Amino acid sequence: MEERGAGMGLASSAEVAEPGSNDGSEEAGESLQKKGFVVTSVDAVMNWARTGSLWPMTFGLACCAVEMMQAGASRYDLDRFGIIFRPSPRQSDCMIVAGTLTNKMAPALRKVYDQMPEPRWVVSMGSCANGGGYYHYSYAVVRGCDRIVPVDVYVPGCPPTAEALIYGLMQLQNKIRRTSTIAR
Amino acid sequence: MDERFGEQITRIASTCGELTFEVAKDDLHDVATALRNEGEFGFEMLIDVCGVDYLTYGSDEWNTSSATGTGFSRGVEREPVILDEADEFDTRRFAVVFHLLSVRHNLRLRLRAFTGKDNPPVMRSVVDIWNGANWFEREVFDLFGILFVGHPDLRRILTDYGFIGHPFRKDFPLIGNVEVSYDAEKGRVAYQPVSIEPRTLVPRVIRDDNRYSADLKDNADG
Repeated sequence: MEERGAGMGLASSAEVAEPGSNDGSEEAGESLQKKGFVVTSVDAVMNWARTGSLWPMTFGLACCAVEMMQAGASRYDLDRFGIIFRPSPRQSDCMIVAGTLTNKMAPALRKVYDQMPEPRWVVSMGSCANGGGYYHYSYAVVRGCDRIVPVDVYVPGCPPTAEALIYGLMQLQNKIRRTSTIAR
Repeated sequence: MDERFGEQITRIASTCGELTFEVAKDDLHDVATALRNEGEFGFEMLIDVCGVDYLTYGSDEWNTSSATGTGFSRGVEREPVILDEADEFDTRRFAVVFHLLSVRHNLRLRLRAFTGKDNPPVMRSVVDIWNGANWFEREVFDLFGILFVGHPDLRRILTDYGFIGHPFRKDFPLIGNVEVSYDAEKGRVAYQPVSIEPRTLVPRVIRDDNRYSADLKDNADG
């Protein structure tokens, strides 16, 4: 239990109590002696849970989506990070905007974002989503998806490699880990 | 082709052996029907329908007679061309091009018809001849504003809902007229006038590069 908790990012805040150092009831004490227990703060557990099971909403709009699939497929395997793509905004807490966001798609993107439960994060993937990119001067393209939704992490590239996307998602995990959930 | 249609069609010269004919707007429907139905042609398949805007055809957007000092991405001042309010267009401004395929004879053919001087430009629909023209004609209507008479459902197909203008016209500004962003007060995505300046990217072109001239090469060799 201790080792697993440490591996999942609880190392700094979790303290493993020595068996037998507790003066509770006899029954509980017996159970504690056999199994051990962990002391931590709710804050740390929540952040640990959130970083360890980031479920992104699949919002593939263009060629970036192919790199996103690549990141999810067996070679890079986002499942290792607990990142599992969800087809429904109601079940997801992160949205990867992968590709060119057009004016026509913008209201739909916002609607999907609004449907996601709090807390929620947005990763902007690729030049087009970051600032319009190649289509910056086009009549039909939103010049950056941060005009529509608040963005947490920008991943540069055209398209970004799967490694870059994973690095961006790890940065998002760092950001979540730093957040003080209760104070917020 | 010449025997069958005579005056109705004009062959257009091609450098790579492609068959292109120009058809008068009023003859288009008859010619197209014959091309599909008559056994010696058998163009039963419509590959594509295109629109063309010849407004700035043949005129340079930038001058490339000298090398650009600043390299790539230099903005170019240019006069906006606004002609859409005109009563009449140049008769050779808009054209519709039909690409046909005859599977039976393994032949491809291109028909071009100018829309004439009407504003908005009007063309006879070919949906009743080739059903596949439906969405192609909607696309041409959307991007060029060419109306197709006889089309069953002539709506926009690609651009945004409520879009104003026809973006592939040469006098449509590339950056458009509106942009969108989320309005927190209204709680929805809202439109506002476009906030950026138009810009034309000019490639770095070097004309008359003397380093590679034949005279210098000869000198270097001996």
